[in-house]
Amino acid sequence: MFTKDPILLACTVTVVLPFLSFLTIICYTRKWERVSCSISIGAILTSLLCAVYLFVATRHFTEPLQYRLPWVISGKTIIPFGFLVDHLSMLMLVIVAVIASLVQIYSLGYMAGDPGFSRYYACQSLFAWAMMTMTVAPSMIQFYIFWELVGLASYLLIGFYYEKWSASQAGKKAFVVTRIGDVGMFIGLVILLLYYGNLSIVDVNSAAVAKQIPVPLITISAILIFCGVIGKSAQFPLLTWLPDAMEGPTPVSALLHSATMVAAGVYMFARLFPFFAGSEQALQFALLIGTITMVLSSTMAMVARDIKQVWAYSTVSQLGYMVMALGAGGYFAGMFHLTTHAGFKALLFLCSGVFIHHYHTNDFFVMSRQGARNLKVPMVCMTIGALALSGVFPFSGFFSKESIMVALAHHPNKIWLAAGLFGEVLTAYYTFRLIFVMLFPKEIEDHGHHEEEHHEGESILYWLMGWPLIILASVTCVLGFFEKQFEHYLFADFILAHGMEHGAEAAQAGGHWLTITAIVLVLIGVAVAWLEYGRKGASQEGFLSRMPAIEKLFANRWYMDHFYRWALDMIIYSGFTNIFTRNDRRVIDGGIDGLCRGTEGSGRIASFLQSNMVQYNIFVMVAILGFVALSFLG
Amino acid sequence: MNNLTLYLLISAVLFSFGLVGVMMRRSLIAILVSIELMLNAASLNFMAFNKFLSPDTSIGQIYTLFIMGIAAAEAAIALSIFLALFRQLRSINIERARELRG
Repeated sequence: MFTKDPILLACTVTVVLPFLSFLTIICYTRKWERVSCSISIGAILTSLLCAVYLFVATRHFTEPLQYRLPWVISGKTIIPFGFLVDHLSMLMLVIVAVIASLVQIYSLGYMAGDPGFSRYYACQSLFAWAMMTMTVAPSMIQFYIFWELVGLASYLLIGFYYEKWSASQAGKKAFVVTRIGDVGMFIGLVILLLYYGNLSIVDVNSAAVAKQIPVPLITISAILIFCGVIGKSAQFPLLTWLPDAMEGPTPVSALLHSATMVAAGVYMFARLFPFFAGSEQALQFALLIGTITMVLSSTMAMVARDIKQVWAYSTVSQLGYMVMALGAGGYFAGMFHLTTHAGFKALLFLCSGVFIHHYHTNDFFVMSRQGARNLKVPMVCMTIGALALSGVFPFSGFFSKESIMVALAHHPNKIWLAAGLFGEVLTAYYTFRLIFVMLFPKEIEDHGHHEEEHHEGESILYWLMGWPLIILASVTCVLGFFEKQFEHYLFADFILAHGMEHGAEAAQAGGHWLTITAIVLVLIGVAVAWLEYGRKGASQEGFLSRMPAIEKLFANRWYMDHFYRWALDMIIYSGFTNIFTRNDRRVIDGGIDGLCRGTEGSGRIASFLQSNMVQYNIFVMVAILGFVALSFLG
Repeated sequence: MNNLTLYLLISAVLFSFGLVGVMMRRSLIAILVSIELMLNAASLNFMAFNKFLSPDTSIGQIYTLFIMGIAAAEAAIALSIFLALFRQLRSINIERARELRG
């Protein structure tokens, strides 16, 4: 079977190898760090090769290719396990494999000498396995299982420094908060299964396009399934876990933020896009959530002082952009932004990882004072990433953001477009606030001798971390110019399979005024940042510090965590818990106590029968029995 | 008087001895011995019935075996109770055990 079908073989190898590497590392090679990391990196590189082969081999396919093996059979419901090979899943597979392998190579330098080195690589393999299997899942059940496994792996990696209290708390928070959304998603899937009876992705999508599923059913289940996206992709009500997830090692943040964990939510949205598109309300809901998320998290990023926090908030807001694009019907725009974002966000995080590794601080004001701009490679790469993030021509972010704006412009309600453009200003501002602070420090402490201290081994580590940066930076530079091919690639599959075209025509019809507006807005954002942080003698204080109330609001994440704390106290601790405690004390404890008291009391009452004359009692008993026996005989 | 009646008479006599022992003796050990006597009387009955009424089967013998096993277990438990009682009361006279008197 395998020899006849190289695609199936490649799929299996891609998906299974990281899992095998996880098992091997966990079971056998935990003591040998070098063996562990070479197993893991070997596995992910082989997966990458297979993924690229698949990508190339299937690029001309017009029909989605499915391999399915029945896994659970219950009555008429068959839950299959297998692979769905189409353009979307292959694209995502390649993104995941590329980012995961670059991050693993980079981690050789970043994690060197860490006591949990092997455990780290085991978790990385687990993460890659879960994410890649999820990517090629043909049915929503398989998708959901691996969706949860991705959550587990990210929990393990965020809480990697488990002996640190805040890290273990952050891991727990990420796990629990995403789970809230997953409950909604699960209910949505069950509703769909009950009323439609099939969870195969291809079937659900084509049935929604052919209007075989009633619209109210689509609306309800789509909004519930979207709850999963809200949790996983850190959208508006549940976005607070992602900034806390910075407690993990920096390469983990890069992986989490670019291609895997948070992108999973957007990927699911794109995967089920024709299904979501079956309901106008569901799309409106997504658009609303995406917009709120984008604006809120941008404002949070404007006041953060922790370099990783800034990138974390920017991830949340970029995810908001993707959801907005998909919600506005821009299937291609959302997926394109996901791709470019995976590249430049991984780049930004890996760069900041170098700084954090070097200066042992997360505060970029401190880094800058210690002379961060002397680290040439990461500084240049980070600037490239920042240019892409704020959408400056000719970096990849410019193209994908523009296609999002075009998609938004095609939506009849222009409020969304205005919000999107406003978000561009904020993005440019907070990104260049960081870059200017790093580039133009106010005063530099003398660390001139720092460079000479490098040992031979350390410079190897430095270049291990440097090469992935350079690769990602060059990808970021050129990726944008492949927009047309990209669009063609995604739509070749999409139009034929689902007969939807309005995204394609939308991309062409965007006017030049939109591009110009966007560029001007970005320049305004950069200029404001330059005035406040960049120019000579700049105060390096944002305009927000003149409005302490608003600054405090932004810095405290709009008091969302406080609200959750309060709601938790109100609902859980003084609501449920109170009732349960009372139930425990009164009903359960009281019941047992009452039973004991009753037994004791009745024993006291019955004890008058005990007359201390055992043998007389026996005598009477025998006499009575004898009498009864005699009367029966007689 | 056939053989079966003879066996039954013997077992009845044994049983009566046991019953009287249980009712009359004050020593716990003696009471235990008397109980064993009654159990043996019952076993004898089983054996006799098995032999004379249904010689082909061996149900009576199986019952007897069970009674022996149960008697052994019961003796072990009873003796350990007596030991505990003796530690408490410094005596094995049944009349001294009166703490539960209501």
